Amino acid sequence: MFRIDLNKLSIFLTCICFCFAFSNAIAGVKGQVKDEKGQAVPYATIQWGDGKGVLADENGNFELPDHLNQSKIKVTAIGYEAKVITLSNHVDLTVKLTPLVQHLDEVVVTGNVDPQSARQSVYQVRTISKEIIQNRAASNLQEVLNTELGIRFSQDNALGSSNLEMLGLSGQNVKILIDGVPMVGRQGVNNEININQIDINQIERIEIVEGPMSVVYGADALAGVINIITKRPGDTKILLNARVQEETVGQGYQPLTGSGNHIRSVQGQYRIDESFSVSAGWTQNDFGGWKGDFEGRQYSWLPKTQNLGMAQLNFGSEDIDLSYGIDYLNESITSFGPENRVETVDSEFVTRRVMHRLTGSYALNQKLKAAIQAGYTDYQRNTITTYTNVRTGETGLSNAPGSQAVLNYNGLNVRLTSIWDMHEHLAWTVGVDFNQEVGSGERISTNEGINDLAFFISGEWKPTASFSLRPGVRRTYNSAYKAPPLIPSVNGRWDLSQSLALKFGYARGFRAPSIRELYFDFFDASHSIVGNPDLQAETSHSYQASLSWLNSMGRNIKLESTINSFYNDIDNQITYGISPDDPRLTSLFNLENFRTGGVMLRNKLILNKHSLDFGISRIGRYNQISSENPDLASLLWTTELNANIGVYLPLVDSHLHLFYKWTGALPAFVADSDSVDVFRPVQLDGFHWMDLTMKKTLFGSMDLTFGARNLLDVKNVQSSLGEGSAHSGGASRPIGYGRSYFIGINYQLFK
Amino acid sequence: MKNNNYIKINVILAAFGMMIASCTDNENPTVETPPVEEAYIELNGGGTTFPNMVFVDLSAEEQVAVRRDSWDFAFSNGTAFQVLINGTTGAMAYETAYTAFSEVDEAYVNNLKSSGSLDLNFNNLSGILRVDNPSNPLNNGSVFGNLANNEQDAKVFIVNRGESGADTREWKKVKIYVSNNKYIIEHAPTNSIEVTKVEVSKNESHNFTYFSIDNGIVEVEPVKEKWDFVWTAGTSSTPYAQATDGTLAYFFQDLVYHNIYGGVGAQEILESDLSYEDFDIQDLQGLNFNVDNRLTIGSNWRSGGGPTSSPSAREDRYYIIKDKAGNHYKLRFLSLTTGGERGRPSLEYALIK
Repeated sequence: MFRIDLNKLSIFLTCICFCFAFSNAIAGVKGQVKDEKGQAVPYATIQWGDGKGVLADENGNFELPDHLNQSKIKVTAIGYEAKVITLSNHVDLTVKLTPLVQHLDEVVVTGNVDPQSARQSVYQVRTISKEIIQNRAASNLQEVLNTELGIRFSQDNALGSSNLEMLGLSGQNVKILIDGVPMVGRQGVNNEININQIDINQIERIEIVEGPMSVVYGADALAGVINIITKRPGDTKILLNARVQEETVGQGYQPLTGSGNHIRSVQGQYRIDESFSVSAGWTQNDFGGWKGDFEGRQYSWLPKTQNLGMAQLNFGSEDIDLSYGIDYLNESITSFGPENRVETVDSEFVTRRVMHRLTGSYALNQKLKAAIQAGYTDYQRNTITTYTNVRTGETGLSNAPGSQAVLNYNGLNVRLTSIWDMHEHLAWTVGVDFNQEVGSGERISTNEGINDLAFFISGEWKPTASFSLRPGVRRTYNSAYKAPPLIPSVNGRWDLSQSLALKFGYARGFRAPSIRELYFDFFDASHSIVGNPDLQAETSHSYQASLSWLNSMGRNIKLESTINSFYNDIDNQITYGISPDDPRLTSLFNLENFRTGGVMLRNKLILNKHSLDFGISRIGRYNQISSENPDLASLLWTTELNANIGVYLPLVDSHLHLFYKWTGALPAFVADSDSVDVFRPVQLDGFHWMDLTMKKTLFGSMDLTFGARNLLDVKNVQSSLGEGSAHSGGASRPIGYGRSYFIGINYQLFK
Repeated sequence: MKNNNYIKINVILAAFGMMIASCTDNENPTVETPPVEEAYIELNGGGTTFPNMVFVDLSAEEQVAVRRDSWDFAFSNGTAFQVLINGTTGAMAYETAYTAFSEVDEAYVNNLKSSGSLDLNFNNLSGILRVDNPSNPLNNGSVFGNLANNEQDAKVFIVNRGESGADTREWKKVKIYVSNNKYIIEHAPTNSIEVTKVEVSKNESHNFTYFSIDNGIVEVEPVKEKWDFVWTAGTSSTPYAQATDGTLAYFFQDLVYHNIYGGVGAQEILESDLSYEDFDIQDLQGLNFNVDNRLTIGSNWRSGGGPTSSPSAREDRYYIIKDKAGNHYKLRFLSLTTGGERGRPSLEYALIK
């Protein structure tokens, strides 16, 4: 196991920056910070290399030491975009800042090769920027996404992982991409990816697309796509970011290691010349676990240590962009067995993942561009079980079969795309997508892997600036299962007026049977489960429509509202059933139908330096029992509400953020315990989630963040599902480990 | 197998005691071995696939391990004529309406096979009708029920010999009846009428006489006074609304039956009422030893685990066992595993005096 003690490093950095902060700036260049309309911007921060900086006064005036000729300075002010300028013998310098409000419209890349304005994209894309991630002081993606509408998590505390659900569909239907490259997890390629195995400190933004982008990205995105865009090197010569965060867990906290949550991260970038740059980073997340109701050795939230490393080499010229990166994960989760008078048995789950990524594009000429997104992932998960005889002290590896297990997945993904701007009104995208997946390990029967080759073509037709239509089609050949013959989709955007835009889409989606569903066999005293190599893909018809309205009422007030509705109709859903050939066996079959539908309203209000996001969603999940019991509702609805409030407090020059979500009850029907034909309504109760954070920038280069997570102290929610049945998951489901407090420092140095 | 030192000391003490006894008490040359006072035992269950059933004699500190799949029928040596199928392999039996083997052909058996009604799993909701009563099969009902007194009246049963933690073996057509105070068992392969007929006599030194279709009469349980409980896997039941009678026949690992047919009684005590250490002879008063439900210990001594916890021996309870000779032992299970492996549980006990 690798362990780097980042504590010492960060203390060192902190000392350095304190030293610089107290050194007074020597009088030299005078300047003023103004906005676009020439009005002074008060209290801007002006930084230069090595973490030095000064603060502008209330009229935007500042003074720089005169030795700064030819250096770069960075000017930041709250509510404005940061600006880097090179000094060149200015005597009086005026820095013009652009208000952030102008950039309400985010840039997105999912579904396209080049970044595009989110409003211009034919897809309805939600983005979460790195600023929001920083404001949340999150240690993993779950802490960022848990207040998003339409996303919920179910905690698997036996394994110390969590599964994501999106728009009423399980994690098997959510495609998780890193820079467009699919991820590999415990269940194989793009199947219930544990998004907490991603380094949050490397994320530039998260793009969430609802609906299957099956023509571009292929299988497994019936619910949608979460594309994680990693940071790209900027113009600065050297950039160094260090982060330390300490967090309580439940009632427990020990400094730096042990109980609590401990985050250390360092990310750096070095620009070699105009074309080449390298970057690297390392993050360690050390979660001490939470015992919950257990009093002895056991934990209800298992202790976990993650080491996440990254290195990247980038090349950029006028017509070529190329980036190769390697991501490394080493995660160790320890499950302590119950106390015992003779022997205790503990398990450790060790995940090691190495992901290579190659992304690039080449512009042949003004009209023709080619792009590649490729990845190779080696994923390995070991289960190590040890016993300790508490009477003799003897310890060793458990002899029990299956107690020392290795699971291995290799995934190769190559996507080549070319974009041809035929003329002003028509552009073509043609691509080929090759995926190879091999899985081996305990309980997976011998298989030759899955090869998948697909071709896709789509055209974007823009008769006018306010209308665009993008039909597409994909043809897939798969070695392991029968893929749906042709996957069509059509997406469109129509700007009804300057402030009102309509987007709509239809897509045929499909979910490939996973390696486990095809080849996983499990036999013991009471289970006889075999995979079914004859499974077909699940297919869906997915419909989307959204209307968004953007209004700017004055210079610093903007309101954007989006109403989005969706409907998914899924056929051939894979489900467990009794084998018709042998009633002793349970296997998987394409048996069920499923439907989801919903409406989501999201609003974003920006008022000077304050912001307010709020939304509501109603998502309906198909009630499978209703097919035989027409009296019961066919869709069961869940309400969600969320609000993110950002308030600027001028008195202390700090930002206060409140993140809130109400996740409504999840209803279902189960057979009544007294009679087989009577169904009683049950539900997983709803819960409120609230985080409160405060961020203050110190000395221009350091962000101090502190606050409380899970302010309402949620631990478990009650479930009336499965009471008294042989395979019940218990009457409550874990949601959180109670309120926790954190404090973190983020230090940035650039040159 | 490891032994703690105090066990060895006890053995030495016991041997020493015997010597003294034999020196001083010349009038009685057949001295009985005094009951073992304290012991720690790791049961030789055979490991994760729990192939064995293990009979334990507390007073002699002895265990006898026998393969679960070494037998198919247990013929009662009690006053009534009754037969049990091998619940320790999850065997099930189906009573046909016919009395002649020729009337039950292979197609009939295949229908039964594909219906799943002779498979012990949670898909078979009527399984409870095809197994012996788990708690007291001689009193509460066995699947073979009252045996006919002649060949003509005996029904043909189809027997799945059990594949719960046991290899799949051929199903059989079986008839069992009583003739001249002896059991007669006739069995044939499911696709033929080639009948094998075997006579089984009663043997009063044992609770049951065990019979294997492959090997005839076999030795399984020790003499009835020489064991107190058996650790095994076996068919028990669990409440389940959708199942017949609200009860699902279900196969349990780490199931313990005390020897109710050999006169052994058992009682569960919770640590919260009285700790194991503090339990002494005064506390025996008022105990109501269970002698008609062999599941007093059953699967209650361990928890099956759940989504966030592994199976474990429950530390909140222990058992008082009264053996046939009148010795009272307090006994607690310590662990489900040895070397991390299920199927090798350990326990400790002490004589209450």
